[in-house]
Amino acid sequence: MSTAGPYPKFWATVGSRPARRRPGVVDDYEWPPGERPLRIVVVGKGGAGKSVVAGTMARILARRGRRVLALDTDGVPGLALSLGATPPSTPPLVAAVDQAEGGCWRLKKGVGPVRAVQRFSTLAPDGVRVLEVGDHPVSGVASVTPSAQAFYQVIHGLPEARALRAWTMIGDHPAGPRQTTHDWASYADTLLVVAEPTWKSALTARRLAELASARGAAALTVATKVSSPGDADRVTQIAGVPVVATIPADEAVRESDRLGVALIDHAPSCPAARAIEQLVDDLVDGKVGQVTGP
Amino acid sequence: MKIAVAGKGGAGKTTVSGTVARQLSRAGHPVLAIDADTNPMLGISLGMGPEETYRLLTVRQGLDDGTIEHQHSVEGLVEAFGVDAPDGVRLVVAMREARVDPGCVCCGGITPQQMLGELEGERRTVVCDMEAGVGAIVRGGKADIVLIVVEPSVKSIDVGIRVAAAAAEAEVIVVANRIRGEADLEAIRAELGDHELAVVPEDPTIALADVEGRAPIDVDPGAPGVGALARLAERLVAQPVRG
Repeated sequence: MSTAGPYPKFWATVGSRPARRRPGVVDDYEWPPGERPLRIVVVGKGGAGKSVVAGTMARILARRGRRVLALDTDGVPGLALSLGATPPSTPPLVAAVDQAEGGCWRLKKGVGPVRAVQRFSTLAPDGVRVLEVGDHPVSGVASVTPSAQAFYQVIHGLPEARALRAWTMIGDHPAGPRQTTHDWASYADTLLVVAEPTWKSALTARRLAELASARGAAALTVATKVSSPGDADRVTQIAGVPVVATIPADEAVRESDRLGVALIDHAPSCPAARAIEQLVDDLVDGKVGQVTGP
Repeated sequence: MKIAVAGKGGAGKTTVSGTVARQLSRAGHPVLAIDADTNPMLGISLGMGPEETYRLLTVRQGLDDGTIEHQHSVEGLVEAFGVDAPDGVRLVVAMREARVDPGCVCCGGITPQQMLGELEGERRTVVCDMEAGVGAIVRGGKADIVLIVVEPSVKSIDVGIRVAAAAAEAEVIVVANRIRGEADLEAIRAELGDHELAVVPEDPTIALADVEGRAPIDVDPGAPGVGALARLAERLVAQPVRG
């Protein structure tokens, strides 16, 4: 498989519903000198720090003037908190769907990915737009289903949405491999696997890297909660993929989680936040993330 | 008795499931542990070792591969798929997302919820380690007791509230995990104070077990966190207090 362009099409045949991807839509956009398009999905075991990494990266990139779309496909609004945004009280895309014959939910006529982002995303600090599957209502799962199905359709429309081609996209998946196997990130060219130096977390990274590799994708691993020099090596060894960024164990992360505030607002220059900023630099500069397929 | 263990990812569901299962088995109760996570790691917390856990065959994979024959009952599946974990715990891995074309998750085989619903729970204790988040419980776990594992963080408590609402038909016990002090506990009590609470202190032994890929009960059964989970296991097999 060729991976020459900035958007290798390794997601194209992924999952139960293949992503339709029109070549050229993103590729033909002229990025300003020194800029690289970034379309990332953050995955990993629960508690590894996915939302903190995704939310902090989104805020940093927005502060640098990028238009950033954050995509939270978890039914529990974790990314919003890590972005410093207020989660919507109802699943926002419910208003964007109707029910087809046979019971499937589909986007209403005239609602494409661009309109969905315009109308149903919410504003986070620094101008980040965040689109969420939305909140599981406390009474049950029923009303989140239409929103989730609409979201899935929006995601598959993002790669070919001309009006969004200059946007940076950062997705945050729920814990584990479920959404990765079912192609919930057809917009992403970079799979950022977050893992802490425990066996469960690093084995989850291995599982995700194997899933990515099975379809010709490469995964980049970010080691979190690193407290000793050997930790990143342990993650690399267990996961079988090299660690491209190391985020130190940091009380400020635990404290911001406890308080439910964004790390970048709680402790903008704490070691963990600085390490995430370094990761952003490396991704933008192309020091990491030059995806090479098999 | 059937026990489901739920909560946000990383809250400690698997550690709680594995340690409670081992402790019950040590106390002489027949225990069936079900790993219902699509990212199954329960074998590690039961003490089977990380690489062995990673290789464990799942029910669905085995059916698809033809490695085992289709069984006419859930009990048959458990018989065919169970593996032996330390202290006599029987472990079944219900499902795993490890295929490029996974098919439909809803009907691609027996679901953990079906399994939990149909399994015999009178003469043994079934401990079911659920997938992270709310969905697993909402999709209809039929448990007698739901353990909701919660860390002192806003996100974790938020998931806990939703699981508690979805699990209203079962007896709910909130397991407050990684507790360092009264401030941590207050945050959890404020939102989930209506439920019975089991407090598990932050414990370097459990952290070490995680790093080494071992069962906490094998690293140090006398550690404070492990002891708290052992007491929780005793409470689970005692007479229900729900009135």
